[in-house]
Amino acid sequence: MTLLVLLSISIVVAAAVYLSLSRDLFRVVIGLTMLGAATNLIVFAAGRFATLTPPLLTTVEDAQAAAVANPLVQALVLTAIVISFALLCFALVLGARLRAQAGNDDVKQMHATEPVAWDSVKPPELEN
Amino acid sequence: MSHADARVGATNRDMLWLALIPSGLFIGLVWALSAIALPWQLQLDWVPSLGVGLDWYIDALSAQFLVLITGIGTMVFIYASGYMAHDANAGRFFLLLLLFMTAMVGVVSADHLLVLFLFWELTSLISFFLVGFKHTDEQARASARQALFITLGGGLALLAAFILLAQITGTWSLQAIVASGPELIEDPRLPAVLMLLFIGCFTKSAQFPFHFWLPNAMSAPTPASAYLHSATMVKLGIYLLARFDPAFNELLLWEVSLIGIGTITAVWAALLALRERDLKRILARSTVSALGTLVLLIGLPNEEAALAVIAFLFAHALYKAPLFFVAGNIDHATGTRSIDHLMGLRRQMPFTMVAAILASLSMAGLPLSFGYVAKDVVTTAKSGTDLLQIVSYGLLFVNSIAVAVAAVAAIRVFWGPANPAFARVREVSWRMLLPPLLIAIVGLEFELMPAFTDPLLVDAARVIAPAADIGDLSADHSIATFVTVAEVLVIGLVLFLFWEQLHRYLAGLARLDHYGCAALFERLLAGLTRVAAWHTKTLQHGNLSGYMRLTLVVLLLFGLGAWLAGDVDGSGLWASSWPAYEQGWALLAATVLISAGALAAPFVYGRLALLMVIGLVGYGSAVLFLFAGAPDVAFTQFMVETVLVVVAAAVLPHYGAPSRYPEPRLLNAAVAVAAGIATFILLAHMFSVPSDRSLAEWFATNSLPEAHGRNVVNVILVDFRALDTFGEIAVVAFSALAAWPLLRTMRKRRRTS
Repeated sequence: MTLLVLLSISIVVAAAVYLSLSRDLFRVVIGLTMLGAATNLIVFAAGRFATLTPPLLTTVEDAQAAAVANPLVQALVLTAIVISFALLCFALVLGARLRAQAGNDDVKQMHATEPVAWDSVKPPELEN
Repeated sequence: MSHADARVGATNRDMLWLALIPSGLFIGLVWALSAIALPWQLQLDWVPSLGVGLDWYIDALSAQFLVLITGIGTMVFIYASGYMAHDANAGRFFLLLLLFMTAMVGVVSADHLLVLFLFWELTSLISFFLVGFKHTDEQARASARQALFITLGGGLALLAAFILLAQITGTWSLQAIVASGPELIEDPRLPAVLMLLFIGCFTKSAQFPFHFWLPNAMSAPTPASAYLHSATMVKLGIYLLARFDPAFNELLLWEVSLIGIGTITAVWAALLALRERDLKRILARSTVSALGTLVLLIGLPNEEAALAVIAFLFAHALYKAPLFFVAGNIDHATGTRSIDHLMGLRRQMPFTMVAAILASLSMAGLPLSFGYVAKDVVTTAKSGTDLLQIVSYGLLFVNSIAVAVAAVAAIRVFWGPANPAFARVREVSWRMLLPPLLIAIVGLEFELMPAFTDPLLVDAARVIAPAADIGDLSADHSIATFVTVAEVLVIGLVLFLFWEQLHRYLAGLARLDHYGCAALFERLLAGLTRVAAWHTKTLQHGNLSGYMRLTLVVLLLFGLGAWLAGDVDGSGLWASSWPAYEQGWALLAATVLISAGALAAPFVYGRLALLMVIGLVGYGSAVLFLFAGAPDVAFTQFMVETVLVVVAAAVLPHYGAPSRYPEPRLLNAAVAVAAGIATFILLAHMFSVPSDRSLAEWFATNSLPEAHGRNVVNVILVDFRALDTFGEIAVVAFSALAAWPLLRTMRKRRRTS
């Protein structure tokens, strides 16, 4: 079973990398989001999925039982989910703004900060 | 009066008074030498925490250099006050000369290797400024750059040698290192030390194959050429080699390298002197030749060689500096240094001619000159050792060329029919005549009155060869020396008579210009910029996807390297037992959802479809969380996926229709698959080691008694790690704050259009 979970995580990573290598800005954003989702799954997997029982305690003795799910990775992943959601929202808005300014969503043409060199030795001049 | 005039007026002040500084130092030094016994030591703290102190140690060898630096320096200052009288940049020139003198004094007085290195590099730097002094001349700039690259590059090698020496011996003191004995000789790092030391000294003293920078450095003003590039700075390599000679004298590597490189340099530079037409460049080639001879003499294993080194070094400074002054006078008066045009100047420039003849007598090593004394001890040094025959012939050739060069400077330029172009040429001012005459006369006087210099020079030789029984310097006029000098003189004069023929033959060898060391060096530099340009073009192409791809590939290669190198233990990969589940079906459904979303993503192009596809991955993850004991995480994930639909609905219209750009899909797919496989290997390794639950258990046991919360995850978020959660909320708030103005401008733009 774990093998299947690990396989699906690996597939998510592969798909995310493929998307983020795209020239389409929107696909890059989606790819980075998927990479975040994969990372969350990896962190969660590090805590192992040994049990169905959530870490809810009625007595102190419950804590000693190893049958409780790992609460630490859950807390970490919970934080990470919220942050990657905020990042995705911002990235979507930024992408839309970039597209509105550049007129297209081709990542390859977005090199305003790194102009194409016109001389083999001298650095290129920046447009304003 | 214009601003420019004011500047010229201001800088054209008479600079002669500045000669008081070196002359004062010289007189003080001579007095101190007669009054206070050597060696002089002084230790001052500088950076005590690093063990770097301003430690000075002046023995006879240092003192000899100090005498040269201040003595020749005085003459150079007097000469320069005449030479630069009409130069608007004279102030800058004198500043550089003063700085240079300070740096030279520092090098030869320093005992701490790092302090020595500091001053050593300073001399290279000032040499750069002086060679490029006529900065409007492109040739001068190129020469200055070349000299800087070579001498500073050598300086780096020297620094490495010093660091190794300090590591081996445990001290930075030059004296202590030279005296350290067998532990230094027997260290396995010694060959590396010697090689680095050689590179440092050979670059500075223009030895083969670094010899070419010195003739090019002749674009410096003549006073600087006389001072830096013949009398003092280029002898620093010799100075350092002489310093280390007592420690390494017995080594075969030391002996073979110095004799070999010294001979090659001396002979090769002498040959190249015949190719030159420029008087200063001829002198520069013969300086390189003399430096080669000095290196060869240091390499000689016997003790007489020490005296020969000292005497020849002193003699060379005393005849080469005046000859440079003579070349400068001729250049100043006629406007040319080409020996094609220079002839018959004896009537117009009689005093310059006298100086040239006096200096040339010493250079040719005629009796009654200090050069003869030097020749005498050099002959003695050679006779005391079984020198290879080829080296002897080489030296004979080198000395003959020296005679021929001396004859060119003293006879060819001044005798013969007068050149009508120079009818209005006048003798230069006394400031430019006194220095060459005085130094040349001193060169002659030392032979006649050896009592003044003998003690210092003999003491200096004892520094190089402490065990030797060194007699005095006064030439004994032995028959052997006389025969040698006569032999050299005859061959030299024959070479002088056939100078034109030899020159024409050698100048015809065009291959030397294409494959010589200088050409190779320039090609190396050009290649370096080409490689840099290619590298920039290939790696910094401005293509974001390309950067991403490169980063990923490098990361994967590192991972692969670590895996292959065995840093990651792969033995437990399949051996570990996998945990079993009761919720098998639910988890299976989750993995199917996740995989389906991920597998579909690369093939989906519509914006909304793509959002739905990653929604599959998100909901799949939520299911996974739900059935792995993490309901809180699952609910958060569900909510995020739902809110995302609202956000996407607001933003998606701004993206318009997707376009399918041409891109290297197969390559991208290969990188992606490799990343997936790497992830799987990583995860498999993670699962093959037991999970460390100690932190999880700490939180679980302390949640109820300390934070009074039953939901451990919530307690961690809002209590134990509350600051983390605060940060998370801040990130959400900031992203909203940052997105807001972006959205507003877009809305405005749409309204206006």
